[in-house]
Amino acid sequence: MAAENKVESEADEMPAAAAADPSAEQKERLIAAVKKEVKQLMEEAVTRKFVHEESGGVTALCGAVEACLGQGLRRRALGLFKTSSTTALLHKIAKHCPEAALVSARVLSAEGAPATRSASGVERRPSAPRPPLNKRGSGSLLSQTPTQSRYLWIRIALFERQLAKIIEHLVNNATRYYERDALVADPDYGSILSSLLVGPCALEYSKAKAPACFWSDPPADELVQRHRMSAGTTTPPSVRRPILNFRRSLNASSDDTSGSSAGSATVSSAKDYVESLHQNSRATLLYGKNNVRVQPKDVEEPMPGYLSLHQTAAGLVIKWTPNQLMNGYAESEGVDKSVYWAMSLQVCVWEVVYVHVHRARASDALILVGQDGVQRPPIHFPKGGHLLSFLSNLETGLLPHGQLDPPLWSQRGTGKVFGRGKSRRRPMPSLCESGETEETEWEDVAGDYVFRIVNNAIADREAMRHSLLERAVQSPPRTPRRPLASTSTTSSDSSTMSVDCPPSAIINGQPPLTPAQIPPIEQAASIELVCSTMRRQIISRAFYGWLAYCRHLSTVRTHLSGLVHPNIVPTDGTESGLTEEIWQSMMDENGAVHNGDEVYRLVYYGGVQQNIRRDVWPYLLGYYEFGSTSEQRSEQDAACRRQYETTMSEWLCVEAIVKQRDREATAASIARLTEAAGRATSSTVETGEVFEDDCSVISDNPPIVSPEPSEREQKPESKPVLSRAPSIDEVENIEMDSEEKGRNDSKVNGETDGTSDSKEHVDVDSLNDIDDDEVYIKSVVENPDMRRESIAEIKRLAEGIVQKGDGRGLLCSVDSGNMTLNGNDLKSSMEESQPPQQKHASVIITNPSVDLAASGSPASSGTTANVSPARSPLGVVREESHSAGASFDTLEPSGDARPDNRSNCVSPASSNGGVYSNELVETFALNLHRIEKDVQRCDRNYPFFTDENLDKLRNIMCTYVWEHLDTGYMQGMCDLAAPLLVTMREEAAAHALFSRLMLRAKDNFPTGQAMDAHFADMRSLIQILDCELYELMHAHGDYTHFYFCYRWFLLDFKRELLYQDVFAAWELIWAARHVASEHMVLFIALALLETYRDVILANSMDFTDIIKFFNEMAERHDASAVLSLARDLVLQVQTLIENK
Amino acid sequence: MAKTYDCLFKLLLIGDSGVGKTSILFRFSEDAFNISFISTIGIDFKIRTIDLDGKKVKLQIWDTAGQERFRTITTAYYRGSMGIMLVYDVTNEKSFENIKNWIRNIEENASADVEKMILGNKCDLDDKRQVSKERGEQLAIDYQIKFVETSAKDSLNVEYAFYTLARDIKAKMEKKQEASNPPGARSGAHVLRASDQQRKPPSWLSRCSLL
Repeated sequence: MAAENKVESEADEMPAAAAADPSAEQKERLIAAVKKEVKQLMEEAVTRKFVHEESGGVTALCGAVEACLGQGLRRRALGLFKTSSTTALLHKIAKHCPEAALVSARVLSAEGAPATRSASGVERRPSAPRPPLNKRGSGSLLSQTPTQSRYLWIRIALFERQLAKIIEHLVNNATRYYERDALVADPDYGSILSSLLVGPCALEYSKAKAPACFWSDPPADELVQRHRMSAGTTTPPSVRRPILNFRRSLNASSDDTSGSSAGSATVSSAKDYVESLHQNSRATLLYGKNNVRVQPKDVEEPMPGYLSLHQTAAGLVIKWTPNQLMNGYAESEGVDKSVYWAMSLQVCVWEVVYVHVHRARASDALILVGQDGVQRPPIHFPKGGHLLSFLSNLETGLLPHGQLDPPLWSQRGTGKVFGRGKSRRRPMPSLCESGETEETEWEDVAGDYVFRIVNNAIADREAMRHSLLERAVQSPPRTPRRPLASTSTTSSDSSTMSVDCPPSAIINGQPPLTPAQIPPIEQAASIELVCSTMRRQIISRAFYGWLAYCRHLSTVRTHLSGLVHPNIVPTDGTESGLTEEIWQSMMDENGAVHNGDEVYRLVYYGGVQQNIRRDVWPYLLGYYEFGSTSEQRSEQDAACRRQYETTMSEWLCVEAIVKQRDREATAASIARLTEAAGRATSSTVETGEVFEDDCSVISDNPPIVSPEPSEREQKPESKPVLSRAPSIDEVENIEMDSEEKGRNDSKVNGETDGTSDSKEHVDVDSLNDIDDDEVYIKSVVENPDMRRESIAEIKRLAEGIVQKGDGRGLLCSVDSGNMTLNGNDLKSSMEESQPPQQKHASVIITNPSVDLAASGSPASSGTTANVSPARSPLGVVREESHSAGASFDTLEPSGDARPDNRSNCVSPASSNGGVYSNELVETFALNLHRIEKDVQRCDRNYPFFTDENLDKLRNIMCTYVWEHLDTGYMQGMCDLAAPLLVTMREEAAAHALFSRLMLRAKDNFPTGQAMDAHFADMRSLIQILDCELYELMHAHGDYTHFYFCYRWFLLDFKRELLYQDVFAAWELIWAARHVASEHMVLFIALALLETYRDVILANSMDFTDIIKFFNEMAERHDASAVLSLARDLVLQVQTLIENK
Repeated sequence: MAKTYDCLFKLLLIGDSGVGKTSILFRFSEDAFNISFISTIGIDFKIRTIDLDGKKVKLQIWDTAGQERFRTITTAYYRGSMGIMLVYDVTNEKSFENIKNWIRNIEENASADVEKMILGNKCDLDDKRQVSKERGEQLAIDYQIKFVETSAKDSLNVEYAFYTLARDIKAKMEKKQEASNPPGARSGAHVLRASDQQRKPPSWLSRCSLL
């Protein structure tokens, strides 16, 4: 029966025959593939101006065309055996078709000399593989064919613009070459195919040696462009997707909610809708018919249109579109089509309970009655079995979840309701009375029928709950809904009165009773049953919906309540943000701004005007306090500047040392290189985790100690601190032992001390052998008074250092040999503190001069020249080298009090010497190199960053790092500091703001935990606010790491946006902390994702795709749109939480 | 839809910060050099499809941040990579020293049979050179890895390096395939049989057909 049915429907002239027919489906697929390829190719042509001949799109199109041409080809009859029968076909038709002849000739010439190879016995395509492959010998055939020669003739035909005509020829002569049911032979499909190819034939193809990108994945720009082309009007995501979306993910409600929402969804765009009428990936077209008339509301006459039946994931959908809206309808442009849109129908079949069929002489009509009892306007089919066909398609489409009741043709083989054709099919008994079985006659029969659409899933559930379940056992099992209308004419009332059998009975599957058996009481009871069932359904649906919503909300509250502030701050008056006037008006006579909240509000919604950024940013970052007067602020500024200079001077000395070492290292390595026999370099110990930059340098160089020049006689006795510099091992050991050492006061006293002269001499010599470095000892010892003071000073220092607890700069200057001390107390302490040999540490007391000779000048108080930060440090060094060396007496910092042990050295602003441990120098050196590498590369394209300003940036970084030597410099810090410098222009201010910024930003770096928290929060947010995107991410697995957001969060989007936009974004983030959310970065990230969500979903991007996409889109975002979307998202979450 | 490539190789560029990984990558993928690059943060990748012995090989080359502290992210990307370029700077001794550490890193995190290659970059700066070519070669011999000195600026040996690495990976893959597949003769026969089945049984008609 089924087979016959299919054959029958085949004979119909409808292009979209019953879905049960496999070859029709196949044809659908083939044509759809060609359409898709053509679409992509055309898009590519538009975005790239021309199409490369070897691009993937061309190959794909050729493949699709080949598949179409190959389907249903009469190979046997034509003797086309070889695998590329189409090429053979081409040669065959060359005789008849001039275009084909042309192409055929080209193909033959392009093939070269294939003949010899075919003798190998392996089947080869006439399109021969290129010569290089011959070397492979026989091997596997298919994998070797290079892409270029696949579908060779189709390619050539395409480039020669003959393909469309060739296909036309084939279509016109299809009967000769193709089976009857082939695609090409099909009158509709065939012409569709040839017309589809007219477009691609008109394109420009180029063999230009293009960079590889032309045949690789399209870049981000192109993806966005293509998306814009195909999407028509794009509605903002937050509008298009209401909060109701999440219901799908929770899935607690029944199918019906989704069904109803699909049914009630408004047409989002005309183009989408019309496209949806065709076969696409989301919906299968089961049935389509032109010239189906519907009389919508307010229209006098029925209008012709296109009726289609679609199978989607949600269920079956019946659509009717007026002809005026269909493609190709010839009408003048500019007619407002919206009225037609209102007339179009879209009905989800699950919503329909009854289908009334009225067959009259002139036409057949169908009326759909919804579950709410509403009738749709009648749908008039033209005569000729179309209605029947539609119903049978509907029936097949309903399976397996539902069915028509009564079925169009029953399982028992009693034939269709309407009965048709063949003699062995017999209609239902009830019809026998009225209708004949001949085809001709049933058409004349007027009659009305009613079918019920049964959803088995629902029916099952109902059956369970139905109170009449026990009754079902006794009650007459199946009452066919008799086609009442066999006796009466159309009357909707009577049809609604039709008796329905209890659902349970259907499931029991008992044989139908004849109508005569139905007792009247049963009828009444069944109606009541139906009503109560409906009531139950409605209630249960409402309940589940509500339950789902509640569950969802509690999830939201749990995940997201921490991310936003509960109060929603109003937006009135904030369109232009914080302008200069407003800012001025907010200041009182003392220059104090009191209304911090208002400032935050204005900035959050509107940003800060460019010319007052300098003034406002310190407030936003919390550097200035609201309510502070101008006086207070200028004091604060001055203090800050002083502080900055002080710190700078501190690290400048160390930098000098570092630079010196670097020069020596370079010299050494060059010397090494030029030596015939390379020196054995002291092998760097493999430290594993620590890739310190300059360890090798350090290992070669002993620490530098400046001379203590107060006494002339000290000079010859200046002693080296160490015989050799500590290697990394030793440094580590020092670290470990520092604590214990430090605790011992006496050890503290055992500071740098002399060794015997001879030893010193030896040491100096050896040192000189090693390097040109000079090593000095601070021979404080010689001068008792000095010594005492200096010892005290050192002690104080050391304690200070020790208190800091990280063991830097520990004093234990034990030499490898015997120590003879000049001072008693020192001696004893020295002897006590005889650490094992390898634990050498040293205190480096420096005068930033490294010149042995020049140290002679007596201990005048060291120059207290204030080192201005801007001068190059080397200059400082040179100056100082001639000055008197520092004695501890002079170690008073000028200006501010000694900085609070932030750094481990005492250094006056004069930078006249200080105490630097080796380790300190090393660490700073390491960071310095990193900073320099990064500063040089920072924002080079931005005109602000001249060399001078880059220097300023460097200074800021160095100062910060000097203050935070434990974390040190990490890549990315430069990027954070640069915009601050650009805005504030002044180093000290920028540095102050940068420190404030880093308070929060520090955790984003690998040393902190914040990044993981961000990723987790992103995951929750997306899960709740955009489940479709989330599902895509989940499907791709490693997506959920969200690493593509890493750079966003680390740099607060600085690299993703243009500079001007960076300012706006940062203002938003800072202001938001007080207004809406402390995690504004998350919402901006989410906004970025949402802006491109369609592109992401359409291209089904996986992890690598999305990284590539966003990296390419950097600095191309529409920042204001993204930022305002971010605010909307915050509002959305706030509303969700607020509404409970 | 036909793919535009035959195989996809995932490669990784690692090395200290500032040695020139991004420049090498840019030179290879875009054939350009820009002295004012910004430091790589996080991770990035570029693609280039090359022709290797007739096959289209798509190289997906990942560029990472050099500073070691970002390793928590980059370690995740060692997995799945088929080839790794270790880059050092000939004008920076320390970066050369660290190659050993990077190699150990690879051993800990990447698959055992990943193809490696050492590149000594910036070889155009002869006056600032700190590491001799011989030392580089010696290191490579010690680890049995290939070695080449490159200059992204002068476009010296960059293509050669990537092509070589890709070829090595391809050769290794093919060797593996051969080992796991049955010997060649049989596979050829398989193919023959398959195509036989597709062919309709020849009738007397076919013999007469003209093609």
